[in-house]
Amino acid sequence: MIIPMTRARLLGPRERLDEVLDAVQDSGLVHLAEPVPVGGLRPLEMSPQEERESRHLQDLVRDLESVTNLLPSTRTGAAGSPAFAAWARQARRLRRDVDRLDARSREIEEERSQLARFEQFIQAFRGLLPAGNGARTHSYHLVLRGEDEEAVSRLRDGLAKVIGDQFMLETASLPTGERAAALVVHTPDAPRVERLLAQAGIHELPMPARYAGQTLGQVAPELAERRKGLDRELEDLAVRRRELVSAAAPELARARPAVEDRLLALAARERAATTARSFVLEGWVPTAGFGRLGRQLRDRFGESLVIEAVAQEEWQGANAPVVLTNPRLFRPFEAVTRMMPLPAYGSIDPTPFVAVFFPMFFGLILGDFGYGAVLAVLALWLRRRGAPGSTLRAVAEILGACAAFTVAFGLAFGECFGDLGRRALGIRPLLLDREESLMPFLGLAVAIGVVHISLGLVLGIVNTARGHPRQAVGRGAALAMLAFIVVALLAAFDVLPRGFFTPAVVALLLAFPVLVIAEGIIAPIEFLSTLSNVLSYARIMALGTASVMMAMVANRLAGSVGSVIVGVLFGLLFHLVNFALGIFAPTIHGLRLHYVEFFGKFYSPGGQEYRPFSHWRHTGIKAA
Amino acid sequence: MEVVFITLSAALAIGVPALATSWAQSRIGPAISASLAEKPELSTTAILLVAIPETMVILGFVVAVLIMLRAGG
Repeated sequence: MIIPMTRARLLGPRERLDEVLDAVQDSGLVHLAEPVPVGGLRPLEMSPQEERESRHLQDLVRDLESVTNLLPSTRTGAAGSPAFAAWARQARRLRRDVDRLDARSREIEEERSQLARFEQFIQAFRGLLPAGNGARTHSYHLVLRGEDEEAVSRLRDGLAKVIGDQFMLETASLPTGERAAALVVHTPDAPRVERLLAQAGIHELPMPARYAGQTLGQVAPELAERRKGLDRELEDLAVRRRELVSAAAPELARARPAVEDRLLALAARERAATTARSFVLEGWVPTAGFGRLGRQLRDRFGESLVIEAVAQEEWQGANAPVVLTNPRLFRPFEAVTRMMPLPAYGSIDPTPFVAVFFPMFFGLILGDFGYGAVLAVLALWLRRRGAPGSTLRAVAEILGACAAFTVAFGLAFGECFGDLGRRALGIRPLLLDREESLMPFLGLAVAIGVVHISLGLVLGIVNTARGHPRQAVGRGAALAMLAFIVVALLAAFDVLPRGFFTPAVVALLLAFPVLVIAEGIIAPIEFLSTLSNVLSYARIMALGTASVMMAMVANRLAGSVGSVIVGVLFGLLFHLVNFALGIFAPTIHGLRLHYVEFFGKFYSPGGQEYRPFSHWRHTGIKAA
Repeated sequence: MEVVFITLSAALAIGVPALATSWAQSRIGPAISASLAEKPELSTTAILLVAIPETMVILGFVVAVLIMLRAGG
């Protein structure tokens, strides 16, 4: 249901506005309304100084957000006496220092990876590397892409053409899949060889700057030592980073709520209307909390503050914020309702009906004891992973309800992984056999459609009875006509006595003009769409039949394969696919039946979320 | 011969709406995907819009089943 709201009005001396706002923020109950400029009241605008403060605080929030991921815990601490300028300096200093450390770490990582590549190269030519770069020879360390020998022979041919046989070329495979090549030539031949390498697009492994001018043979002993040094430096940097962050964390965790609270308070001031000496604040409070708010404010401000409830005639229900509240069992299904725009204040919250019908439709479509049990396990696992109040927890609980209905209808239809339960365990259907009884299943689906649509029309009558009596009469006429059509059809098919047919048709003809008078000439077309809405519930039968047929095909295919193991694996795979479809299709079509067919009869969207003026609460998840 | 016509009728009853549904979804899908790129909050509307044409093939399936049952198939 949508909880009733009271519009509260607070009147007090202007100089106490900030104190009153503090108290209202402490209470966390009032959804502040736009100021109403009547008489001498004018909306309070920010002074240039406040605007400057707001800008600085927004900058500080950005700075704090940029260091948020550095802070080690999700606790934000209690807001203490604010020191905005100091916090801003501290946040910027921390960011700068951490960025510097991170940049150095990245440099070290880069050098390490370069050294690692050299080490691979040295490993590949262990024992072959020249001890030094003599004055008469020049050595090259090359990396050839790909493993093919052709690249090596092409290089060898090219070198032979340019410098004859005056070279030494050795190759070896690298762990990266590339090919390392060490080439030694006479120093006078070096320029021609380099030209050849450039033309062939073969790159030399660049020597790190600190080893420039040395050969691999010379640097090999130094590499391991250097790597160890880099590892030590990386560890030192990580320790320094941790220390910096730990030192700043408590203060900055305390800063965020204080800064956000101050920003909220500055924004809340703009919701006040003032005269030269007084202020007026208006907002919505849940009716159940209005008395508590009054007591809290009177205790703090005594007679200097007047708090009153604005008469309902003065405010329009459509402007009031909406809070959905439902029994614990139905609460997860608020997530389904919230996928649509919120219902307008004063209209009907469809959550309890969704909580009953959505899992029922799901169960009717999937309707399999085995799949239901698997779904229940999946729901339990998801529930354990989801924090209380999280979307994941709500989804898990909705899945749990769907699993319960799936198991129940699975028993009713005598299905456990299709016809496996029937063949292996001798399970028999308690209600109907979906494989054989297609017409009764179709009848059941359409009958559920009649009930669901009728319920929607009844809710539509209730919703519109107060404000739009003509529409209520129109919906009543549509409901009556639907009932008469059902009676006439049942009589025609001998389900009801034949005598009902003529009175039902006569009543239908009498209700028709009422419908047209109440809702206009378009009403008959809308009524036809209502009838097609009812037929749309045939999808329950269609999808349900498809589901059971798929499961049976899985079992038959598994049985038709020669090998037992292959057959079981094949059957499991097919059942897995059917299970995935079995979750997806009923969800989409269950939602559709609710949003299009059911909600279309009564739902009035347009409610705004209840956002009380309260202290800032951190809701994001921070990485340690 | 009669069996051939009955089977063909049932196949057409589900085949033609299936083609119509796929054509409608092929138009709706890209359009709603483009909208979602700009307004991710339209995801519920997206699901509904893509699911709406499926009514055709579902009713086609029901009609096909009725044809087969009426014919004693």
